[in-house]
Parts: sequence; C-alpha cells; structure tokens
Amino acid sequence: MSDNTVILETKNLRKSFDGQEVLKGITTTIKKGDVLALIGPSGCGKSTFLRSLNLLEIPTDGHVLFEGTDLTDRSVDINQVRQKIGMVFQQFNLFPNMTIRENIMLAPVKLGKLTREEAEKKAVELLARIGLSDKADAYPAQLSGGQKQRIAIVRSLAMNPDIILFDEPTSALDPEMVGEVLAVMKELANDGMTMVVVTHEMGFAREVANRVMFINDGVIQEEGTPEEVFGSPKSPRLREFLSKVL
Amino acid sequence: MKRKKQILCLLLAGMALLGAAACGQSTAGTEAGQETETVQGTETAEHTVTSVDDLPGARIGVQLGTTGDIYVSDYESDGSGTVVERYNKGADAVQALKQGKIDCVVIDEQPALRFVEQNGGLRILEEEFTLEDYAFLIAKDNEELLEKVNGALAELREEGVLDEIKKNYVGAESEVGKYPYESADVERPNGTLVVATNAEFPPYEYYEDGAVTGMDMDIMRAVCDKLGMEIKIEDMAFDSIIPAVSSGKADIGAAGFTVTEERKKNANFSDTYTTSKQVIIVADEDAVQAGQTLSEKFYNSFIKDSRYMYLVKGLGNTIVITIFAVMIGIALGFLIAVVRTNHDRNGGFTVLNAICKAYLTIVRGTPVMIQLLIIYYVIFQSVTINKLVVAVIAFGLNSAAYVAEIVRSGIMAVDVGQFEAGRSLGLTYRQTMGSIVMPQAVKNILPALCNEFISLLKETSISGYIGFMDLTKGGDIIRSVTYDALLPLLAVALVYLLMVMGLTKGVNLLERKLRSNER
Repeated sequence: MSDNTVILETKNLRKSFDGQEVLKGITTTIKKGDVLALIGPSGCGKSTFLRSLNLLEIPTDGHVLFEGTDLTDRSVDINQVRQKIGMVFQQFNLFPNMTIRENIMLAPVKLGKLTREEAEKKAVELLARIGLSDKADAYPAQLSGGQKQRIAIVRSLAMNPDIILFDEPTSALDPEMVGEVLAVMKELANDGMTMVVVTHEMGFAREVANRVMFINDGVIQEEGTPEEVFGSPKSPRLREFLSKVL
Repeated sequence: MKRKKQILCLLLAGMALLGAAACGQSTAGTEAGQETETVQGTETAEHTVTSVDDLPGARIGVQLGTTGDIYVSDYESDGSGTVVERYNKGADAVQALKQGKIDCVVIDEQPALRFVEQNGGLRILEEEFTLEDYAFLIAKDNEELLEKVNGALAELREEGVLDEIKKNYVGAESEVGKYPYESADVERPNGTLVVATNAEFPPYEYYEDGAVTGMDMDIMRAVCDKLGMEIKIEDMAFDSIIPAVSSGKADIGAAGFTVTEERKKNANFSDTYTTSKQVIIVADEDAVQAGQTLSEKFYNSFIKDSRYMYLVKGLGNTIVITIFAVMIGIALGFLIAVVRTNHDRNGGFTVLNAICKAYLTIVRGTPVMIQLLIIYYVIFQSVTINKLVVAVIAFGLNSAAYVAEIVRSGIMAVDVGQFEAGRSLGLTYRQTMGSIVMPQAVKNILPALCNEFISLLKETSISGYIGFMDLTKGGDIIRSVTYDALLPLLAVALVYLLMVMGLTKGVNLLERKLRSNER
C-alpha cells in the first residue's frame, strides 16, 4: 500500500511540560499511504506526540519534517503547512454556531483554496460520501456523536490534506457509534490516505493499520506490523499492556 | 409572550409606585414624625430648637462646605451629641427638615427666606446665627485679576450700580425686581472670565428660564462690562468651586462665598460686596401646611417656565454620553481583551499586557466618580475642555476595563478545542479568533455586556459632579427651583427605568435570535 515518498519525519522529538519530560526523543518516518496506529497506556505521550506533528504542541527539542520542510524552523509558515495536515479530535470540535455545510466550507473559502461555489460543491460531495447529505443545513448540536465525528473527518478532507492525524477519534463516542466512524476511516485508508491514529481500538489497529507503534513512558517501546506487535510482542511492558486491553 | 407580560407588570408596578409615593406625600409629615420619635427615643431626647443656645445636641442640617457647615461643625466634637448632616444642596437640607429627619437647618438668610416662602410649615428664628461678609474668590497666584475685580467693584459701588443690583434681589418688597441689570454694550477685547458658581442658592445664583441668574451673576456681568471681558458661567457643586478656581478651571468663584480664614488659605478674596447672615430654619408646628395638590406640583415641576426642558436636555446629554462612552468602552475593551488573551495563549505582547493589567487594576479598583473628578480636575486641569468630552472619556475609559474582562472571560469560556480545530485547518491566529472564537465569545458575553452598558447608563448620573447637566442634574435643577423633591426625582427615575427596560428587551431579542442557531 505504501510507496517510498516520505510524508512526515521526526528526529529525536522531545517535549516537556513544566520540566516534566513527556516525549523523550522520538525518531520515526511516515511514508505516503502509511496507516500508523499509536497505542500505549494513558499518559504515555502518544497524544502529545500526535499533536507535535502539526505543532499544536511546540516541541522542546528535536525536529519535525513535513515533506522535507522542518516545521521547528521559526521562519516556516506553519499555517501553510497545516493546510496539508488534517486533524480529527476526540471531542469533534465542530463549530457549534455554523451549519454543517458552513463547517466544511469555512477553511477552504477563508484560505482562498476554493471559491464559495467550489467549496459548496465539495461539501455536497463529501456529505454524500458519508451518507449525511440531509444534514447539510443542520447545526452540530442536532447530530449524534458518530455523525459529528464523520463530519469532522470530511471537514478535514475538504482541505485535501496529504495526511490526517486522528486523536482518539472514537473515545468520546457511545459504543454503538464507534463502528460508523471506523468504517469511514477504513474507507479512507483503503483509498490510500496517509493516517496517524492514536487509538484504543485494537481491532481497528490490527485490521486497518500497516504499522503499529507502542509508546511507553515517552519513548517508542516497540514497533512493527500488526502481526508482529499483536502476534509476538517482545517487551514485557507491551505484553502486559496487551493482556489488559485485549 | 411571557416576557411581554413581565414588562407590562413592571411598567404597572412603576406607575403604582409613582402614585403611591404621590399619595404618601401628604402623610409624609406624620410618618416621618413617627420615625423621628422612635429614633430619638433610643438615641437622644426630643430636641426642639428655639434659639441658638439649643443648637448643641440637635441634629443640624447644613449645605456642605458653606459657612453654616463650618460654624456648626464646632458643636460636633464638644460632647453635646450634636449631629451635623451635610447636604449637597440647601434644598435637600430643607426637605429633610420638613420630613423631620433633622431638627433645624443653618443656612444663609436670603436662601432661607426663599425656602420658607416656598415651603409651608417652616419658620426662621429671629435670632440670627452669625453675620458675615460675602466676597468673590480668585486663585492665589492671580493677583492681577484680583486687583482688576476690586477696581471694578469700587467703580460700581461709586456709580450706585452695586446698590441697584442688591436692591433688585434682596431689597424691600417694593424694590425687588425693579432694577434688573442690563449688560452694557461695550467692546470686549480682554478675553473671557470663567465664573464658577453653584446655581442652587437663590437669590444669589439660581436657574431661571434655563439660564443661571441672581445677584452674584449680575455683579459678575457688571464687572465684565467694566473689564471689557466676555462672561462664561459654569455651574458646579459648591464644594467643587474652590478646587476649580485654584486649579484654573475657572477664573473666579461667585457663589455667596463668606470670607473665612480657612478659605483664605486656598484662595484670595475680593473686596466684600454684600453682607449676609446665617439663620436657623426650624419646623413651625403652628403653621398650616400650605400643601400643593399633585397637579399644582406637576405644573410647578414640569410645565411652568417649560421646566421639563431641563429633563429633555439632560436626557439628551445622558444618551450622548452613554452612546459615546459605550463606543469607547467596546473598542478599547476588545483591544485590551485581545492583548490579554493573546498574551495568555501565545505569550506575546508582554509589555502591552503589563500596561493593560495595571490599567484594569487601577480602573476597577477605584470608584468611577473619583475617576471622573480626577480626569476633570487633575488631568485636564489647565485645559479648557468641553465637559461632555470629559464625561465621555471618563465613562468610556471606565467601561473599557469592565468590558475587557467580560470579553476576556468570554473568549476563555470558548472551548480551547475550537481554537485548535481552527488552527489545525491552517487558519491563522487572527482568522481563528475572528471567524471561530469571537462569534461564539460574543454570544457568551452578550448578557454580561448589556448589563455593563445598563449600569454605565445609570452611572452617568454622577456627571453633575463636574457640573455637567445630564438627566439627574436636570432633575436636580428643577428640584432646586421648586423645592419639591417628589416629582422631579420620580420623573428622572421613571425615565432611567424606561430606558433600561427598553435596552433589556432589545438585548433579549438579540440573544434569542443568536441562540436560535443552537438548541
């Protein structure tokens, strides 16, 4: 599925909060078409790592390279780069004062990527793709959690990103809604979208991801294909973690 | 629908209150009397004042800063249990006396005569309290003007003009009103004389037909004619006159100033232009209350001499101050809030943020009235500036501090996820704040913001302290002419109430419209 174009690269990435080191040097490479699942106990730093990839968290040390550009270089226009990096949040973060259509259209129109007409057409297309065409003029408060998260995904798609970061996209959902969101993500993966997913859904990680990274205590403890990580875990810490979540 | 009913109820309640208060007025004497007795029963024995010797131990009303105040203050600390109530206006002291809240009022003779004439049930004790000289007040460092004024007064005295003016106001009954001073038609090349007065002190200075007139004012006009100067009369609180003169806001104080040692420390006095005495007004139990009917009171308060125009003009000024102050408040308040949130979120604007914080601390830590006085008397001390502008600046700057904190808390109340969602889509900080965070913040803060403006509207009622005629001051002027507190105060209250209710309704509509987006 993945070719050899490097999309994202981190080099010795470190992040501290008030002197407390959360990321202790993470180096990895994400290639086009990769679906990378980040797993690990809570507080291990996986969300911080994900948020460092588009500089929502500013790394204390180390480098993040997106398509060859070093984002930690202060002269880089981070806003330009973020247009190519989509992000989906645990709490959806749809804009409650706008309709679904407006939510999707806002960024492409504001940033001059699409005209209003083009953006409108794109919104209709995207909504049809996830089967929510009838919700175009509804407000977020009128939707279920699963619907909101699917909208949040297509909102990020409206910018035509090269990669999408998912921060525990199903953790805030009622169990019966998890499936519909995972289905959309799976479809994206099948279409070749590069994705980094912080998740507790081991089933999804095993089935959809081509790489699984186990982060523990701010470092990459173990990494490999789903078969390697889930089938023959090497470190005792990963074995212990898997015994608890599987 | 429900809200409409509520508003109707409120209006009805307001009207009922007005009616009840009006009816209550006729019985106010007895009610107040009872209240007095119960108070006295616990504190001091019944105290009737029939001579100067009775003053120690009495509750004495005076006008703040007058010589009456200075004299009776001596009784306050001599252990006799004397209570001195200091009112901003003589008329307020007289009103309190009528309602039995105090035992007597010590005040200058001429205003006392007017008060007693206009109010039934009062009399002046024959024994006078003190004799005193009236003079004009000039700044310490302005010897030149002092000399010129004294020269002009001497000439006027010699020509008999001074006597005529005096006769016109305080002469025998047949003479009063017979010698109105007509300004001479002279060249006025020598600039403007700014006269500070307190036009609540008839017959020396008071409002008539919307202008300040009286004996002191006529003498000032005559002096200006002699000096070849234009006259500009500034009406302000009595205790503001000395600071106004010594700070240069006004050139001369003309408000029945008695020459006292204390005042001499702060300003120079011209030669004496008349003498007066302090007298004691007491309630006259024997007199039949010459009560006015409500319609007479209404006529006197609003219709006679078009007195309602004081309220109309005042209302106009109140609205103008409020509107411009709100504009300054919103503009500056949002600016401060943006600086503060930007600092909190991004760590930028360190210096600006520190300035903003200091500003908020000072403005929110001091009363708005003090700020108004400081801006007028200290900051704009040596500048001739329109009082409207001063009031707009003072209230605008004050409001900005409160708006800033309201806006900041409103921005902070928007989930940080909204901000992150905007930024992660590639929007800049400014775009995110402008298109995503602010619209939600505004909705959050709209009720608080409106409440701030409602209190701002009401706070402007202290504009009278710098002598600016807002709605409240307009009512005060009527009060000082008619000596009737009831109707002008109620009318002023009603106008404020209606404005506030209108504003509240408007905001409720707006809020509902904004909320209709979300359920």
